[in-house]
Amino acid sequence: MNDDDFDPLRRLQPDRIEPDDPGDPAVYARVKEQFMSSIDEALSSITTSAMPDVYPRLAYNDELAAVDYLTRVFAFAEQREARMEFDNHYLCWLRIGNGIVMLGHANADVHRIHSPADVGLTTVIMHVYVHDIDAHYAHAVAEGADITMDLRDAFYGDRLYEATDPEGHRWHFGERFESIVARGGRAPKPEDQPE
Amino acid sequence: MDRAGEASDAEVVAASLAEPRRFGELFDRHATVLHRYVVRRIGPADAGAIVGEVFRIAFEKRDRYDCNRESARPWLYGIATNLVAKHRRGEGRRLRAVARLAAARDDPRADIADAVTDRVDAARRWERVADAVTALPQPERDALVLHVWEGLAYDDIAVALDVPVGTVRSRLNRARTRLRELAADRGEEPHDNIHGRNSGRIES
Repeated sequence: MNDDDFDPLRRLQPDRIEPDDPGDPAVYARVKEQFMSSIDEALSSITTSAMPDVYPRLAYNDELAAVDYLTRVFAFAEQREARMEFDNHYLCWLRIGNGIVMLGHANADVHRIHSPADVGLTTVIMHVYVHDIDAHYAHAVAEGADITMDLRDAFYGDRLYEATDPEGHRWHFGERFESIVARGGRAPKPEDQPE
Repeated sequence: MDRAGEASDAEVVAASLAEPRRFGELFDRHATVLHRYVVRRIGPADAGAIVGEVFRIAFEKRDRYDCNRESARPWLYGIATNLVAKHRRGEGRRLRAVARLAAARDDPRADIADAVTDRVDAARRWERVADAVTALPQPERDALVLHVWEGLAYDDIAVALDVPVGTVRSRLNRARTRLRELAADRGEEPHDNIHGRNSGRIES
């Protein structure tokens, strides 16, 4: 290569022609300060999402059995130090990802919430995003989960399945397609969008 | 860059995943060089804001940084280059303004008798270089400027522009050819040195 061809452009380098202005330290300081505060903003949003603003509370007749089941089958983690006891009933916090659900006793006088096992229906589906939905599904099946909708690639961009727990609460576990692709998982084949 | 005992850029990026504020160290290490680069390409007016934007984008993408690369500088150059691309017209204006200054600077080299003719001549030559560079397609101009002004190695240009090294080579070759052709189109000897009058250089 003959770099002489580039010589004219090299000579046209602006700071070779104009006096080299090293840049104003005050400008760097201001730009850096703005940059660092943008990091702090990003941080505060991370912190916010680490402590969710919505805590669903689900009712069970046997809340400790539910804690055991949900941690064993669906890989929730109980915040054991947060567990509270009232007259042999419990209020427990289960974490998964950055989400938290509370499990409390059904039919307690104070809150009047019910277990689907008692009322024969449920009015809620808990939708949970997990890191590797295929592994999550395999684990749940191996632990004997009651799968009430098989794993599928939904048109709106989630791969998900539904399981119903022993007292009848329904859980959707899913993962976004982007996350599946990002971790190098099997490419999703979304089903057609319903008319 | 000799920073014995200091964490490498790659280590800082990795550490910043758990301690985000550590990313500020990269600002201290690279902001001045990136600022100079942006100023060279589009002038000082927007340079500060663009440098800030480079680091904000880098921070957001830090989890995808290839930690095998010790220096983050080529990666940051790449982000800056993408942002500069939005100022293409500004870049042309700046290059022509610099060409006018360059022509004015050439005067002391001229013989007194030829001063006027020579000044016009020099002005045309520099203008031609500025036009030729401005007329290059963006990918070639990016590779060219990173090579010639910033002195980046081919490997580093490849990282910055996110293309294989072979592509960098071919872009620079095309840029070289076009610079020659554009010079030739305008009645210039293809290999005429920019200071041709004084250099007396003969190309075979």
